[in-house]
Amino acid sequence: MEHKVFLTDEENDMLLGKAGTMKQKAMEVIVRYADVLGAKKLCKITKAHLFCGAHPFMLSFPSSDPDEVISKMLFCSDEKVALDRYECPYCQSDAAPMDSEKWRSMGVAEPEAKRNEQFLHRFLDSGVHLASSCIPYMLGFVPLMGEHYVSTESHAVVLMNSLWGACGNADGVEIAFSAAACGRIPLWGTHIAENRKGTHIFRVLCNVASTHDWDLLGYTVGRKLPTHSVPVLVGAPRPNIVDLKSFFASLATTAGPEICHIVGITPEAPTLDSAMGGNKPVRDVTVTEEDLEESRRMLSDAGEGSVQYVSVGCPHYSIDQVERAARYLRGKKIAEGVTLQVWTAPQIRYLADRCGYSKVIEDAGGVVLTGSCPMVSEKLPKNAAGLAFDSAKQAHYLRPVDLMQGKKIYYGSMEQCLEAALSGMWKE
Amino acid sequence: MASENAIQGWSGVDERSGMIIEKGHPFEGMSMNGAVLVLSGGKGSNGWSCHFHAAMILGITPAAMLFPKMDARTASAAAILGIPVVTDFEEDIFSLVESGDWIQVDGDAGIVRITKRDRPGKH
Repeated sequence: MEHKVFLTDEENDMLLGKAGTMKQKAMEVIVRYADVLGAKKLCKITKAHLFCGAHPFMLSFPSSDPDEVISKMLFCSDEKVALDRYECPYCQSDAAPMDSEKWRSMGVAEPEAKRNEQFLHRFLDSGVHLASSCIPYMLGFVPLMGEHYVSTESHAVVLMNSLWGACGNADGVEIAFSAAACGRIPLWGTHIAENRKGTHIFRVLCNVASTHDWDLLGYTVGRKLPTHSVPVLVGAPRPNIVDLKSFFASLATTAGPEICHIVGITPEAPTLDSAMGGNKPVRDVTVTEEDLEESRRMLSDAGEGSVQYVSVGCPHYSIDQVERAARYLRGKKIAEGVTLQVWTAPQIRYLADRCGYSKVIEDAGGVVLTGSCPMVSEKLPKNAAGLAFDSAKQAHYLRPVDLMQGKKIYYGSMEQCLEAALSGMWKE
Repeated sequence: MASENAIQGWSGVDERSGMIIEKGHPFEGMSMNGAVLVLSGGKGSNGWSCHFHAAMILGITPAAMLFPKMDARTASAAAILGIPVVTDFEEDIFSLVESGDWIQVDGDAGIVRITKRDRPGKH
């Protein structure tokens, strides 16, 4: 195929099919992508975080053969490619459509679960570790400063670029799989140091004291951030990794940044000047209590109301968050008719089981689920009139969904959500 | 369909109906099928292109897309969909085009011709 991007001999051989059809199709996609971007050359990736599973978007292609679906939907190939081990040396899976063990409690039918396992095993055969989580950076997937990677999870890209100086863009799902398969991505965007400098200053004038506040702050900064900008946060109190997990998730919901400097916290921002790297700020924005309140009003329906479904753990809870939920629920019972789901990664549930936290949550009437979330699984309760979430990301993305019309969506802290599960009522 | 507001793919584009469902977006309630989308870019989930891709499999697709500047989300879609996509305009596209105008797009030559809806014959 004709192309403008420079290719090495090895890359050209892949494009010519000398390394098999999978790498050929993957390289065709990556070369087209590079030419759209205007990238001059490709770079090698050493980590890939991939949206594996029988996801709803994949199933728009009418075929019962997983290899045909993967070929068409992920490698954009009309002919079935021979799925082989991916070139990228470290691959790990992103969230799946369901919990691989407790899918029944999500309302998944057996054929659906079997099909998902069939898909997951095709990815396992290609060398993908089945971590099934949106928080790869807590599960061994740690790209270092200057390391090139791909990830299908928007907030993981912002977090890993910002906190560690790693290099990844918000490439699409098909691009990420093709990049993993041929081990290359266009050298473009945050893969180049020049493009990582700050463009907009955000001065935090509001009180930010909890993970929930950080979640709201991210949503608010995102609302005020123009397309194709690099925000620099000034004046925020010192966060921990759990705060930032929520902050980046909600930031990457209302906007599309790939990096966000936090002065005094992130490595490319020891000072405001170094974060800006000589750029004159396009805008200097303040974030006030009123701005956070406006976000809260956008995310949560007003007033009190009955709640039948409560979901916490987006992004997937860390072990200390699962423990905190267990501590809140210890010795209590959730109200009758309420479903309480606590979402985490499979590895973290193993730890929560071992520490006894899962049992405390189950004794209270809740369930610890892994590997997915309400939005990704699209398994939403049909009969619930009120639903509560502790994540701006879930509340925001669920609001437009067909099944949610006419229902109340509430958003608050983990404690507010757990309280709603116990009482069956949302209180402001 | 022209808007300076970036759009979310996940929970923004309903692949089964082709409708834009993002709350508060100027396109909310409009179908992208057969439309020329003029947008500043993508936002939200990295799974942006895959919703357009799934819609295309189901027979729904924009006719073309115009972006003043590419980003990873929109470029992914451009590489995968194979519909005409034009970027890097000489002029501010949003000052020239608004929703309802007729647009001819030559993706290979990078030429966009706008016919104002209220002034037929004016290009």
